[in-house]
Amino acid sequence: MNVNLVLALFFNGIVLGLIYAVVAVGFSLVLGVAQVINFSHGILFAFGAYFFWSISNTAGFWIALFLSPILVAIMGLLIELLLVRRVYGQDPLFGLLITFGFALAMEEVIRMIWGKVARSVSTPFFAQGQLIMGDIIYSKYRIILAIFSLLILLLVWWVITRTSFGAIIKAGMFDSEMISALGHNLPLLRTGIFVIGAFLAGLAGVIAAPLWSIKSGMGTDILMPAFIIALIGGLGSIKGTIIAGLLVGTVTSLAVLFIPRFTDILPYLMLIVVLFYKPKGLFGEVTILGEVREE
Amino acid sequence: MNKKRNILKDPYLIIFLLFFIYPFVPYIGKYKALGSELLIWSIFALSFNLVLGYAGLPSFGHGAFYGVGTYATALTIMHFYSKDVIIPLVVAAFFGGLFTFLYGYLIKRKRGIYFALLTIAFTQILYVIGFRWDEVTGGETGITSLKIGTFLGISLKDPLYFYYFIFLLFVFALIIIRRIANSPVGKVLLALKQDEKRAQYLGFNTEKYVWYIFTVSGIFAGLAGGMYCLLHSSAFADTLHWTKSGDVVMATLLGGGLVNFYGPIVGSLIFITAREFLSAFWDNWMLLYGLSFIIIILFIPTGLLGIVEKIREKKHIDSINNGNNNSTMNGKSRPTKILTKEER
Repeated sequence: MNVNLVLALFFNGIVLGLIYAVVAVGFSLVLGVAQVINFSHGILFAFGAYFFWSISNTAGFWIALFLSPILVAIMGLLIELLLVRRVYGQDPLFGLLITFGFALAMEEVIRMIWGKVARSVSTPFFAQGQLIMGDIIYSKYRIILAIFSLLILLLVWWVITRTSFGAIIKAGMFDSEMISALGHNLPLLRTGIFVIGAFLAGLAGVIAAPLWSIKSGMGTDILMPAFIIALIGGLGSIKGTIIAGLLVGTVTSLAVLFIPRFTDILPYLMLIVVLFYKPKGLFGEVTILGEVREE
Repeated sequence: MNKKRNILKDPYLIIFLLFFIYPFVPYIGKYKALGSELLIWSIFALSFNLVLGYAGLPSFGHGAFYGVGTYATALTIMHFYSKDVIIPLVVAAFFGGLFTFLYGYLIKRKRGIYFALLTIAFTQILYVIGFRWDEVTGGETGITSLKIGTFLGISLKDPLYFYYFIFLLFVFALIIIRRIANSPVGKVLLALKQDEKRAQYLGFNTEKYVWYIFTVSGIFAGLAGGMYCLLHSSAFADTLHWTKSGDVVMATLLGGGLVNFYGPIVGSLIFITAREFLSAFWDNWMLLYGLSFIIIILFIPTGLLGIVEKIREKKHIDSINNGNNNSTMNGKSRPTKILTKEER
């Protein structure tokens, strides 16, 4: 087996895993605090990429980089205020369905606005070309992407574990009623988390745009990995989400060597195995997954 | 008087009659394939509703068992037996049941979001297998142009004969599903939907009931999948994708499966016709489809029959207030509570 090939696949897996993790962190926070399976998370990712494509074509790279995630965050705010807020505390299926319906409708809106053809964004000028390390030639953009994703994840981790806002978020996952009893504004917290989640999804869409072709189905495609990683890592654990992201990314990437056609199955199998042995996920402290009975 | 009300409350005979005369109704009767599709979907949605509406389990991967049925029938016809259509359908029902039986064993203890997510994961695994395993499933192109056999020697090439063949199976399926839903098992499931702990304290092994109903549901979902394969003489991996499982949830909720046994039929009727006509006239019909999810959840979460049920309940309460106790609610009307409000 070619060592260089294995290394290249391994690096690809890490980059992929880090992007997945950025998407999954937002999904996980929303699921933890708002207790809603947010199926519109994927479409927000897609909107990030499309906004980036449109804005960078007219106003340039940097403006697009800053503006697109903010636009997506505003979308997230509207979704929360108009739709998701109505289903808090109801059957989990309702939250899932309302965001799923929204995602279906928006996917069609994307097709109406941007057409059915896949778009592509060129890599920014400073990240073009290859990096040569001995035998290995690797794309510069992927390396910058990995570092940038890692920085975002570390920032989120820092906010959650080291600030008082993070403490409230964590407490909200454990006992949302207690949060309001202690005088914190729970609806506001939920809205805030939803907006942050949307922002992260949009940002992930922006940075992944040069890597993948931009198409209307990209939201549906990323949703499943994100939700798998959020559950494998465990809700409320940023560390777990990062590790799960890297795990899923590298395993699916390396599995190309062994079962090229069935790599897509592995994340689901990993999810099922993890959920059966550790229902709270690898590093999860809380669970909202219904009554998980200790057996 | 009393008899009349019973027919309206449990109108399966009316439903049979309507579907029986459908092909001869002017203007709409000529869409026989659409009618067949509607009957197939009704069976699928009715079987799904045993899990969602009766046991209260949010399965979001029921397309898996429908898809298993489709492939089971297609593979049987292609490789083993294509003379009669009954055997491929039995195989479909068998495999639908087998998959739910095995999978039910794994997830019979899981509830709520956990249950929903595991069912999604399962249907996605099957989707990848169906989509990639070219040698067996035909991969992306699927299995197409199957030779459809006869039913007891009668050729099903004529859409009219095919419609009545599907109608026979529909009658058979509806009677059995209705019987199960109205049996003590159905009552136990309703109890466990409302409060599982209490049902357990009453001595019911709720896990066993969940497992049982999941398997029964899988048998009929597989059967419906097999019939779908016969209708289109093909099988595709598309039916296994998790987004397709949303369709049956949508149809069931729309009709009011949460509160009424016949909700899934009403929902399928609206869903199938709307899909067929909208997609013919408007490319972007998916927009309306997505929005209708939102509208249903926000405004009519108990579905169309839920509204009827509410009016009926109100009448009942009014009549009690008027001192008229004669119109007792019989066991047919189901509790409207599925919204398990946060009780922590």
